[in-house]
Amino acid sequence: MLPERLWFLSAVVIYGLGLLYSIFIWRRGFQYNNWTSYVLLSIAFILHTIALTNRGFSLKQCPVNNLYEATTFILWTISLSSLICGLWTRLRYIGVFTAPLLFCVGVFAMMPGLDPEYGDEPNFINGWASLHASLIMLGYGAFGLSAITGSMFLTQDRNLKLHRASAIFSMLPSIQRLEKLITSSLIFGLVLLTVGLGIGAIFLDLPEGMSFWNDSKVVWSLLVWGFYLSLLIAHLKLDQRGRRYAWLSIIVFGFVIFTFWGTNLLSTIHNP
Amino acid sequence: MPVTITGLSHHSSPVELRERFAFTEAQIIEALNQIREKGIAKEAMILSTCNRVEIYAIPKEPNKAFTQELSQFLCDFHDINENPGDALYSFNDSNSIDHLFRVSCGIDSMVLGETEILGQLKQSYKLALEQKATGPILNKIFQKAFNVAKLIRTKTQIQRGSISVSSVAVELAESIFDSLESQQVLVIGAGDTSEKAARALKSRGASSILVSNRSHEKAMSLAEELHGRAINFDTWEQEFKTIDIIISSTSAQHYVLKRDKLQTMLKQRGNSPLLIIDIAVPRDIDPDCNQVENVYVYNIDDLQTIASQYLNQRKADISNCEKLIIKKRDEILKDLKSYHQKPALILNKQQTTS
Repeated sequence: MLPERLWFLSAVVIYGLGLLYSIFIWRRGFQYNNWTSYVLLSIAFILHTIALTNRGFSLKQCPVNNLYEATTFILWTISLSSLICGLWTRLRYIGVFTAPLLFCVGVFAMMPGLDPEYGDEPNFINGWASLHASLIMLGYGAFGLSAITGSMFLTQDRNLKLHRASAIFSMLPSIQRLEKLITSSLIFGLVLLTVGLGIGAIFLDLPEGMSFWNDSKVVWSLLVWGFYLSLLIAHLKLDQRGRRYAWLSIIVFGFVIFTFWGTNLLSTIHNP
Repeated sequence: MPVTITGLSHHSSPVELRERFAFTEAQIIEALNQIREKGIAKEAMILSTCNRVEIYAIPKEPNKAFTQELSQFLCDFHDINENPGDALYSFNDSNSIDHLFRVSCGIDSMVLGETEILGQLKQSYKLALEQKATGPILNKIFQKAFNVAKLIRTKTQIQRGSISVSSVAVELAESIFDSLESQQVLVIGAGDTSEKAARALKSRGASSILVSNRSHEKAMSLAEELHGRAINFDTWEQEFKTIDIIISSTSAQHYVLKRDKLQTMLKQRGNSPLLIIDIAVPRDIDPDCNQVENVYVYNIDDLQTIASQYLNQRKADISNCEKLIIKKRDEILKDLKSYHQKPALILNKQQTTS
């Protein structure tokens, strides 16, 4: 096992502790200004960053060359954005919602098949391709954040609907603020995805005899782009709001997470 | 037997039952007259709030069936034929004094230490006094109850902080809306609790307040106090598009807002969240409205249940209040005992002098 994978494994273990703490908090309620989940997330983030930078330094470029690297990069983006959001008192508990996702996807990323050893002459991406990949990964990270704030929205909405006192005692933000956060994350993610896809379409050369339209990853990416664009239009222009909007942000990100691996393997351009 | 109390409260019954036993001011006057005319009690006072309905009465003669008579009167007055079972409770002897003192200082309220009940108690007592339904015993006991409430407010922490239905309403609004500054509040029915809730929202920054009441004059008066705007009771639905929070407390006997009507009106407002606080008993808002997406309906029981969560934070001070109540109860019992002995003493004195 490569040293950087050990660092990442340590991060996943801490995310796992975060998951256990999440279960405890879900039972107890989000009532006190508690730093535990934030501290756990911070420790895991440091380990995660070491794993990512070690891999980056060893490759001498942005580590987004295979599924393991792409997945850990997306998770790192989600972890970083959660830590930034958590600086705000009312979002301190974001780690409780982030940790389960980071742990589950982190365990998946540790599967050895996703990180084959590079040969003597590795075919690394660089330049525009590296920028293309990293912008798209950052975009997926932002979509992940929208799904996390979506789950916070659903928690708060459910508590309010069921007239639970935890709705007003909790340290979670108001549902209107959470809805704004979902939208901001979606817009940010969509801009990054659009720029990333644009760079790929304009600046990257296709191998001879291949077409964008025959590649599963390209079609899938455009589908994801279309989903998110439709979601934003539905929200901003057609007043699609509340619970349904939060659910859709989670469902679309769930689709991204569950199909990311498969479409990548089927792609001839992205998985040569 | 100093006083007998019979009634029901949020402890013993849900809002669905309490609303059937609730008295309007006119009904209280009628009930007090009936109690006098039928000779049920020599002194009586009726307290009817959203939390409780209670008759405080002194029997003409010591009578074991007095409690049963009062319960029967309550049921008969409201044409309730079925047996309310454990929902109706009674207090006698020193327990009744304890209960009254606990009620007066808000210890028995769902929102621990709330002060609204004292005002309601004073108002009910004043009404009974005006109707000449009270006598020397009730007057003495109620004056003592008001003193005890004041003492507890000053000597303990039980009434400190923002524990009230209106403050819970504000906190709910803050859990839903990003900022109250851009929110518009509609008050339907210019009742005391709705006024307080509207004031609390205003103090937290609610941008504008509309008041709608069957009596337009009353609406105008409240709107003026809240720096809001009075609107006609029949046309409040026209303003619905801009409303974010509704506080309803009319005395209507039917739902003012039903689910079908709400769903139709919601289309005008772009699915933005709507908080409805229904503090009326009987309820103004169809409970099914809470099933509508982006709509959050809270009735008086919901608010009070949430508020009761604060109870744990205040429990430490309850024991101090109880000590004061016991001390003051013993004092009033002693007073009443000497009051009852007075005629005999006077008689003895007269016999001795003659």
